[in-house]
Amino acid sequence: MSKGKIVSIHSFRGGTGKSNTTANLAAQVALAGKRVGVVDTDIQSPGIHVLFGLDENKMGKTLNDFLHGKCTIGEVAFNIGEKAADADGRAKLSGMNLWLFPSSIRGREISQILREGYDVNLLNQGFQGMLKELDLDYLFIDTHPGLNEETLLSIAISDILVIILRPDDQDFQGTAVTVDIARSLDVPNLLLMVNKALPKYNAADIKQTVEENFKASVAGVLPLSFDMAENASQDIFSLRFPDHEWSKALRGVSQSILEIK
Amino acid sequence: MTEDISNQLKTSFLFRGLPAETLRAVAQKVGTHKLAEGDVLIRKGDEGDSLFMINEGWFKIVTQDAQGGELIINQTGPGETIGEMALLDEAPRSATVIALSNAKVLELKKDAFQEILDQRPDIALTLIRSFSSRLRFSTTYIEKAIDWSQKIAAGDYSFTENTQAIMKSGGSDDDKAAQLLSAFFKMVKSVKAREDELKQKVEKLSLQIDEARRKREFEEITNTDFYASLKEQARQLRAQRKANEEE
Ligand SMILES: Nc1ncnc2c1ncn2[C@@H]1O[C@H](COP(=O)(O)OP(=O)(O)O)[C@@H](O)[C@H]1O
Ligand SMILES: [Mg+2]
Repeated sequence: MSKGKIVSIHSFRGGTGKSNTTANLAAQVALAGKRVGVVDTDIQSPGIHVLFGLDENKMGKTLNDFLHGKCTIGEVAFNIGEKAADADGRAKLSGMNLWLFPSSIRGREISQILREGYDVNLLNQGFQGMLKELDLDYLFIDTHPGLNEETLLSIAISDILVIILRPDDQDFQGTAVTVDIARSLDVPNLLLMVNKALPKYNAADIKQTVEENFKASVAGVLPLSFDMAENASQDIFSLRFPDHEWSKALRGVSQSILEIK
Repeated sequence: MTEDISNQLKTSFLFRGLPAETLRAVAQKVGTHKLAEGDVLIRKGDEGDSLFMINEGWFKIVTQDAQGGELIINQTGPGETIGEMALLDEAPRSATVIALSNAKVLELKKDAFQEILDQRPDIALTLIRSFSSRLRFSTTYIEKAIDWSQKIAAGDYSFTENTQAIMKSGGSDDDKAAQLLSAFFKMVKSVKAREDELKQKVEKLSLQIDEARRKREFEEITNTDFYASLKEQARQLRAQRKANEEE
């Protein structure tokens, strides 16, 4: 079995910034010289491919094909380091060891898998296969919000779980349940990350309050930013705007991940 | 139903840029109205407290000429919005809008809109962008708006303290660009006010985890066969991995 670490990125609600965070963390870790995989398990509403510049034309085999037994997991891997240098930020990834395992964005295939379901164990075999075949150091999993079966699986098998929350009531409540689940499943490393924090609010205060409530460490407080809303979903923001406050805080989180032994 | 309305919202310039989740939140606050040919949707001079989006049918926008006769300013149809400035300012309706055919419109009340803004201050930024991309400001106004937008993005609202004077002296009252910029300015102020309010809420919010609900939800998830087998599977996987490392 591979020694690579599985890092699941989770949030209780959608729109929290999971896909953007996952793509940026994976990119930073790849830039640090690691072999990195990113898998989109948000089968219902895939999104991370856009950040890596994939569209329907460029997309080959997908996780859906694998789950339907139509191909091996290796065939799903899309080599970002070789093929994604078409935007300013992404260009910095050229030559890096980074692979994306996309979910299908074809409506018919999405509704098929939602209708027919699939074997969650097979998904787990897929994860292990990704780690092994590409000899990955890290596999980042972008999850579907909430706590459905495939999300529970990705939490259960993760070495590091990053839970993203916005500083509001609903997210606090949902995050509390997720933290309890992660502890019940003995996830070895739990990191919280606050995203969309209001700009003038004191980040240290937020960090302290969240840590006190959840008894877990906050790896970063990332600001709500107009620039992010504007640009992020076209490119890897922290590569394109490395000096931006959001990017600096994001690198704090990737650093925390790299420091976990 | 909400899904239908979200899809309709997506076709309007104002809401186009919003994520699906937010659109659904907006959609829940929207009402629908049917009109027949000749029905008046908006009357000039009335208090403006809602925005309309045309779903089906056509409308004429009319005012009166100097002799008191009807003067058609414009016609408008599906996908267009009417009265969007009402979401920003208190000014009375500036023209009358009459259905030219059978028509269906969606209505978003100002109060409902403000409620959404309270929950999602980031929407305000998307809307500012929509407004400023559609409206034709003169160059100086564009520069002002860009300058302000950048400041807002950086969380710097200090310009709202000392800009009132410029707003008064610059441009006559019927200068549309000046009116729009002034509305933009008012909106920024209200965004700031809400943001300040939210900041205070954050500290209180942190104490508001409903522990009973937390426990109930935890149990709902963990009291399943799926969960039990998942837990066991995860345990085995970790044990195996540990054994491998020790080899
Ligand atoms: N810190 C931020 N400030 C402003 N907008 C953000 C921020 N983080 C993410 N966004 C925006 O929020 C939206 C949802 O982000 P996404 O990463 O797709 O979330 P998720 O995968 O959790 O649904 C996107 O439009 C993204 O650009
Ligand atoms: Mg996503």
